[in-house]
Amino acid sequence: MAASALGLREIDAFYGDSHILQKVSFALGEGRLLGLLGRNGAGKSTCINVVVGLLPARGGTVEVFGTDITRLPPESIAARGVALVPQGRRVFKSLTVRENLLVAARPPGAGSRHAPWTAETVFGMFPRLAERRHQIAAHLSGGEQQMLAIGRALMANPRVLLMDEPSEGLAPQIVADVMATVRTLKESGLSIVLVEQNPRLVLDIADDIVILNSGRVAVVTTPAGLAREGIDLTQHLGVY
Amino acid sequence: MMQQITSAQVVILAINSFALGGLLFLLSAGFSLIFGLMRIPNLMHGAFFMLGAYFGVSFLEWGMNFWLAALLSGLAMAAIGGLIERVLLRRLEGQVLPQVLLTLGFAFIIADICLMIWTGDPWQPTPPPELRGAVQAMGMFFPLYRLMVLAVAVAVAIALWILVDWTRLGAMIRAGVDDPPIARVVGIKVSQLFTLVFCLGAALAAFAGVMGAPFLSVYPGLDFEMLPLALIVVILGGTGSLLGALVGSFILGFLYNFGQAMFPDLAYVILFLPMLLILVLRPQGLFGRVMT
Ligand SMILES: Nc1ncnc2c1ncn2[C@@H]1O[C@H](COP(=O)(O)OP(=O)(O)O)[C@@H](O)[C@H]1O
Ligand SMILES: [Mg+2]
Repeated sequence: MAASALGLREIDAFYGDSHILQKVSFALGEGRLLGLLGRNGAGKSTCINVVVGLLPARGGTVEVFGTDITRLPPESIAARGVALVPQGRRVFKSLTVRENLLVAARPPGAGSRHAPWTAETVFGMFPRLAERRHQIAAHLSGGEQQMLAIGRALMANPRVLLMDEPSEGLAPQIVADVMATVRTLKESGLSIVLVEQNPRLVLDIADDIVILNSGRVAVVTTPAGLAREGIDLTQHLGVY
Repeated sequence: MMQQITSAQVVILAINSFALGGLLFLLSAGFSLIFGLMRIPNLMHGAFFMLGAYFGVSFLEWGMNFWLAALLSGLAMAAIGGLIERVLLRRLEGQVLPQVLLTLGFAFIIADICLMIWTGDPWQPTPPPELRGAVQAMGMFFPLYRLMVLAVAVAVAIALWILVDWTRLGAMIRAGVDDPPIARVVGIKVSQLFTLVFCLGAALAAFAGVMGAPFLSVYPGLDFEMLPLALIVVILGGTGSLLGALVGSFILGFLYNFGQAMFPDLAYVILFLPMLLILVLRPQGLFGRVMT
């Protein structure tokens, strides 16, 4: 079997004494989009934090294209081609739009097929950011900050893109724009983990679905499988 | 109580104020960067200034060129500061009181070591030969060396401003201040950058010590005379603001010289009163951002 783009194996993670992730395993295939679902507090962001190195796992391994990254610091994981669009966007507020992009710039790794991302190509994708390139990021609207967070992640020319609730707190039209962007990125061949609470945003775009419940993997399936197997979403996700 | 001063004295006092202001900027820019960016109240900063000055004294005794001595002293202090930061301060990240105690303790240790090596006698190196004496203009004499200190301070201010505000490196440092964990996830080596900032601040303090030595002279206690001045500058101007440090330095330079000439009995009141007013009325300082 070819190495997956991202693989978590039996991850155990704690905040202090509370055992948050319990033997979490899932794999993201190369060029695929994995929808990571779960209600608020299920442990989705904790998974993401383990992958990017912000929260060291107590047990288990994380691999990127077959390389073990479990014990690496965040800077080194970024250098291995993992980029994050964090929950709550977390753009660098006191930097300008352009500076937010430049500080994250990293040349593509060997063997990258996609044309490299630069500030100019990001601006081409998000013309609104181009207009505001010299503004301080704190002055952007929520939607613009989300675009900036996505652009910042792309500047690293990643091989694996993690997006933690990119639709959170945005107006429906902006959510549609963000989802269209995610689709474009998927079509460019990027391997993506898309974290969402709302399954409707994910079902028509994802190749694979993983549902977390109380820090455990409750379901591993595909959007078609989800419908076929009649999995009760309300049981895992609350009412939608 | 108030002393009369003549207009010729005013000009001399003004020049001395500008020169002292420039020197204070070289001293406090590093203090401001370290405090504003890394939130470390570095109470060793006056000791860095004094130790740097002593280094300069020794280099000059060995016959070294003045500017080389100043640069070398800065480099040596960068190495010492970097070592203290990496080995000791790094363990106390985010803990203000332990940082205060550690840096204060080190300030005393450095003072004792200086006393041991350079004795209690004051040292006053001469300025470089090309800068001794004065230039004459408009019927008055302007001391060359002090004008040079001012020019160097302005040049350093411009260089620092470009570094912090206009380079990618500066933007990475600011990103590391805004959101350290996300900066690391983005691939910025925040820890190394902060060490770099600390080294730069230490180097500037030592460089300032050498620049100041020809007119302040170097003696035990100089460290704890300079430290409060750096504190006042940074509180006046606002932490982390280079423009604030520059303006604060010149305000303090003028207060110091004119205050001592006109109100010799009230020297400390004149130095500290503006700081108290700022603390009460505008705690973020004249140019500081409100810290969150
Ligand atoms: N920094 C933290 N310290 C302690 N507990 C935390 C922290 N962050 C999250 N938690 C807890 O971990 C659990 C999972 O949180 P999280 O991964 O953020 O959930 P999700 O992203 O799925 O909404 C929750 O119970 C939450 O309260
Ligand atoms: Mg979350």
